Amino acid sequence: MLLTRKANAGVTSQSRLARGLNGVLGRTIDRRTFLKRSGITAGAGALAAHLPFSMMGEAKAAEAAEGKIEVKRTVCTHCSVGCAIDAHVQNGVWIRQEPVFDSPLNLGAHCAKGASIREHGITHDSHRLKYPMKLEGGKWKRISWDTAYDEISKKLLAIRDDKEKGGPDALFVVGSSKHNNEQSYLLRKWVSLWGTNNCDHQARICHSTTVAGVAQTWGYGAMTNSYNDEQNSKSMMFLGSNAAEAHPVSMLHTLHAKENGAKVIVVDPRYTRTAAKADIYVRHRSGSDVAFLFGVLYHVFKNGWEDKQYIHDRVYGMDKVREEVMAKWTPDKVTEVTGVSEAEVANVAKTLAENRPGFIIWAMGQTQHTNANAIVRASNILMLALGNVGRSGGGCNIYRGHDNVQGATDIGPNPDTLPGYYPVAVPGAWAHWSRVWNVDPKWIAGRYAPGMQGKPGTTVSRWIDGVLEKNDAIDQGPNLRAIFYWGHAPNSQSRGSEMIEAMKKLDLMVVLDPYPSASAAMFAMVRKDGAYLLPVATQLETEGSATASNRSLQWREKVIDPLFESRTDHMIMYQLAEKLGFADQFVGKKDGKQNIRLVKGKGGMEPSMEDTLREVNRGCWTIGYTGQSPERLQAHMRNMHLFDVKSLRCKGGKDAKTGYDMTGDYFGLPWPCYGTAAIKHPGTPNLYDTSKHSMDGGHTFRALFGVEKDGVNLLAEDGVHSKGSDITTGYPQFDHVLLKKLGWWDELTDEEKKEAEGKLWTNDLSGGIQRVAMKHGCSAFGNAKARAIVWNFPDGIPQHREPLFSPRPDLVAKYPTHDDVKVLWRLPTMFKSVQDKAVKEEMHKKFPLILTSGRLVEYEGGGEETRSNPWLAELMQDNFVEINPITASQRHIKNGDFVWVSTPGKNADGSHVKLKVKALVTERVGPDTCFIPFHFSGWWQGQDMLAYYPEGAAPIVRGEAVNTATTYGYDRVTMMQETKTTLCQVAKA
Amino acid sequence: MARMKFLVDAERCIECNGCVTACKNENEVPWGVNRRKVVTINDGVVGAEKSLSVACMHCSDAPCMAVCPVDCFYRTDDGVVLHDKDLCIGCGYCFYACPFGAPQFPQAGAFGLRGKMDKCTFCAGGPEADRSDAEFKKYGRNRLAEGKLPACAEMCSTKALLGGDGDVIADIYRERVARRGVKGAEAWGWGTAYGPPPKGAAPAAAPAGGKS
Amino acid sequence: MRSIALIAAALVALAGCMEIEQTATPSRQGKYQGKPDSTPWSNQPLAAGPQWKQGDRASWEEQIKKRQLGQHEHRRIYQ
Repeated sequence: MLLTRKANAGVTSQSRLARGLNGVLGRTIDRRTFLKRSGITAGAGALAAHLPFSMMGEAKAAEAAEGKIEVKRTVCTHCSVGCAIDAHVQNGVWIRQEPVFDSPLNLGAHCAKGASIREHGITHDSHRLKYPMKLEGGKWKRISWDTAYDEISKKLLAIRDDKEKGGPDALFVVGSSKHNNEQSYLLRKWVSLWGTNNCDHQARICHSTTVAGVAQTWGYGAMTNSYNDEQNSKSMMFLGSNAAEAHPVSMLHTLHAKENGAKVIVVDPRYTRTAAKADIYVRHRSGSDVAFLFGVLYHVFKNGWEDKQYIHDRVYGMDKVREEVMAKWTPDKVTEVTGVSEAEVANVAKTLAENRPGFIIWAMGQTQHTNANAIVRASNILMLALGNVGRSGGGCNIYRGHDNVQGATDIGPNPDTLPGYYPVAVPGAWAHWSRVWNVDPKWIAGRYAPGMQGKPGTTVSRWIDGVLEKNDAIDQGPNLRAIFYWGHAPNSQSRGSEMIEAMKKLDLMVVLDPYPSASAAMFAMVRKDGAYLLPVATQLETEGSATASNRSLQWREKVIDPLFESRTDHMIMYQLAEKLGFADQFVGKKDGKQNIRLVKGKGGMEPSMEDTLREVNRGCWTIGYTGQSPERLQAHMRNMHLFDVKSLRCKGGKDAKTGYDMTGDYFGLPWPCYGTAAIKHPGTPNLYDTSKHSMDGGHTFRALFGVEKDGVNLLAEDGVHSKGSDITTGYPQFDHVLLKKLGWWDELTDEEKKEAEGKLWTNDLSGGIQRVAMKHGCSAFGNAKARAIVWNFPDGIPQHREPLFSPRPDLVAKYPTHDDVKVLWRLPTMFKSVQDKAVKEEMHKKFPLILTSGRLVEYEGGGEETRSNPWLAELMQDNFVEINPITASQRHIKNGDFVWVSTPGKNADGSHVKLKVKALVTERVGPDTCFIPFHFSGWWQGQDMLAYYPEGAAPIVRGEAVNTATTYGYDRVTMMQETKTTLCQVAKA
Repeated sequence: MARMKFLVDAERCIECNGCVTACKNENEVPWGVNRRKVVTINDGVVGAEKSLSVACMHCSDAPCMAVCPVDCFYRTDDGVVLHDKDLCIGCGYCFYACPFGAPQFPQAGAFGLRGKMDKCTFCAGGPEADRSDAEFKKYGRNRLAEGKLPACAEMCSTKALLGGDGDVIADIYRERVARRGVKGAEAWGWGTAYGPPPKGAAPAAAPAGGKS
Repeated sequence: MRSIALIAAALVALAGCMEIEQTATPSRQGKYQGKPDSTPWSNQPLAAGPQWKQGDRASWEEQIKKRQLGQHEHRRIYQ
């Protein structure tokens, strides 16, 4: 019976089959390609050989196993879209994950990372860091938590007490955008209580230029609308965003809008996966974005397509911008700089003008340049000229990277601001937060080195220079001697070849991370001792809130307990604070009061996340992180189905558990959610939208820059105000004086009056000033114009400036970079001297190709976490360089060959840095450009660094980090690193 | 009567590989076995790049079934093509017959011998007691027996991959096409695989590099 | 014996005239030579998940259809 051919395969079916095969093979699949890509031939690797079919770890078939299944609702930790996940947990083991179709943000959809997030809960063959470790004699050695705390704190205190070469500023803490809101807030507090402003996180190297540029233009440094609101849009221009790979689920909204008729434009040096879905694709030269944007604006002005009334009413300085654009950015000059033809630029302008409202969408493609603050402002100006900002369906949709980078920027470890963007340079900010924290302000001041409390710290992009720079050149007492990498990859910072030189000089490096990360391997490669690794729980192993890119906060339930010996970030902060002597201050324990309760966690006591959020609520008035109480957020998470997808608004409904009525709330109470939770502000779905009442999420532009400039009115013109406002002209920000002048003071309760006397809307802890202002339909932060000219920046009107390493010396002559700056964020910073030297040494001839970097969908950030996940790692097993067929053939390079990519970056011995990667020959990039993704680490200029990782904790896939080779170059305002435009040469290996 | 099908909307698929890892996650498929793959044709060619998610299409007239020498395949009442790993001899004939490259062969043992065939089950398990440990180990999850649909389609990032009752899928897709206008609508499923080529069909696939 | 086979064949052929066979390989759940497989609807629904009446194909299909609308963003957007 066996081994005989089946009887029932008929002749008729064969012919149909043949037809099908022909159709398929002829039309769609290149079968060889498919075979090559299917794991069979692609080298299944040693892993597969010894595995049974199913890996069958803890996960058991549902019915067979015993124990009740609990469903925990959490949020994906991989990007800022905020995709909800239902985790099925049985006996403390995460066995399944199910899509949440009810979520208004992702509607159940996931990309490769979100769909594989359960891997975090699998313990067999885990590549996590499992217990505290210490580098001793060049080997990673397991130690206990107590030993780790003892030794680390002893070393830290010794550095702090070193009168000669130490002090609180010798420590730099690199925080994380993957901390939840509460943890990132606590970390800023932790650093302040230690006594330094030397702290930072991923936002510095991701959207610092956006935050600065956008906030300085109109008030708040955030995405103006939501991903969802793209469904109300008519056009979307992606300039510097590859959303299909970086924010895949956002494309659900984008493509839905496209299918409803919205035009999608992608402007990028690469024909990205996003570009493949566009109506119009424009290839421009990397780093020429200001020229392109002003080139578009030229056609807008030339054809009178600007929104004149809107500009008159709500924008300052557009006339001067117009003069500049019409004079400087004529089509010939635009084409010369960008490489884009006049017709293409005009077509983009026409499409944007005819399809309003519309968005400009960006991510790292705009922000990671030496003149990025100008690029983002040019984007703002274009949207202002078209009248797109402050309405549904239009604005600047700025896609943040990590799941909580928006939140960590808002209330986390920034070197220049306390939580809520209260600047460290303003004494009142410290007074405000000392009150909220229930800590004596004098005590905090005493923790700082003299004169340093009001001085912004250095940045994560430059900490290596804080170590390496000559002491008399830096603007703080000691050089940096100790560094904490608290949830941050080192391979995401440029100049990796110089980072290991800095590591050689450090007294202490502490890596706190679920994965040992490239920090551990890089350090062990050049050092025999001096580093500690502390295993940290993931966000799936704790609870807390995270702010998605659209400013909505979502509360994560804890899925499972911290795995192995790992502990939560906030527990480690507290336990270290105990050792360092500021544990009581950390939880606000003074005079018989304690702000934040301690609760039991795995490994000890930890600050309550709910209490921490309540403390945030009590202090973050500036940006409206005050109405998002844990109770409100949790109610939203339980009732996602009640929220509308297009508007994010709850049409009506009560939470069954608490009885809380969500009617009118926007999902996740997108900040600003002003006032106390009690007044039930619904959150703000779209910033600066005057078509709504301020208690309905309406808004004006913020009055942050005074009431007039050189005799020109900066406030909104008469008749422009948010809907239902009792003041129908422009007005400044609210304080006790204005409230009294308006005769509204007596609408405060007696208790509010007591608190509000002498206060502004930003430091009145009663929330009364905000409440009364909004009761009258006003925005407490005033009603002003957006600024097309940011006069307090080096380039008030955005200028094109060539990258420091430019392929075009002729353009360097015309569009040179800034002059060097003696002190910027505590460090001397070079611009012109580097650019001039590069031209003089003819770097553009030695390295004739542009090197740019970017994202892959399978991996995230530095990539150690995702490259440790076999389901993702299998999809992308080698790092590669995309190279055009013409460029490749000139160099005799074939697809799949190993090549050396060298850059102007230098090793300590003076040789140029070179990377060994595979060549991917593709028309995706033009002949002048090469692209390398930035998620890899674990190779160092051709060498596998496996031996330097703790045993069993190296990621499955390792590769060359592009940032080993990226070059010097920083934004003039924010110290953003240049990683998108440098030079390289490629040669066959 | 429901007849289970997949359909890929090429206007939507962005090669995010969410379907691939959803499958890996739900069925705990080992390294080297890819029940689902995303294929991109004309990779990087301006205006011509398209991505498609491919797995077993659960053909009505399944060539694997026709050629299997040990007759290990069967079709379920709801139209899913499954096979019995206890009967399978791992010969690979089905692999040659399948137009989609769906059958996969895990390596068995130290010499890289070809193991029993493995493929997409439409998250319907196989011939073992439904939702049992044995079924999960051999075939993966049985979501149909839980009243759910395949994980890949349920989690697709842009809802490009649709999976379920063919009639309902067709309705969803029709509604979508109506909204976007017929122009540019391109889907890839049993219809395009077996029906006559639509007008203005794309030219033969150019060699595509893929990303690795 | 042979005639019986012929008659059977003729009957099959006649049936073919009346109804177009949609599939070349008929469904054989539980009837092929390997181990039989039970139908999805014959299972007891899980506590956390879609519910149907055990053994009732129609009610199971109803649930599947509902579930399927999760793949249809129009349904969630324009609800």
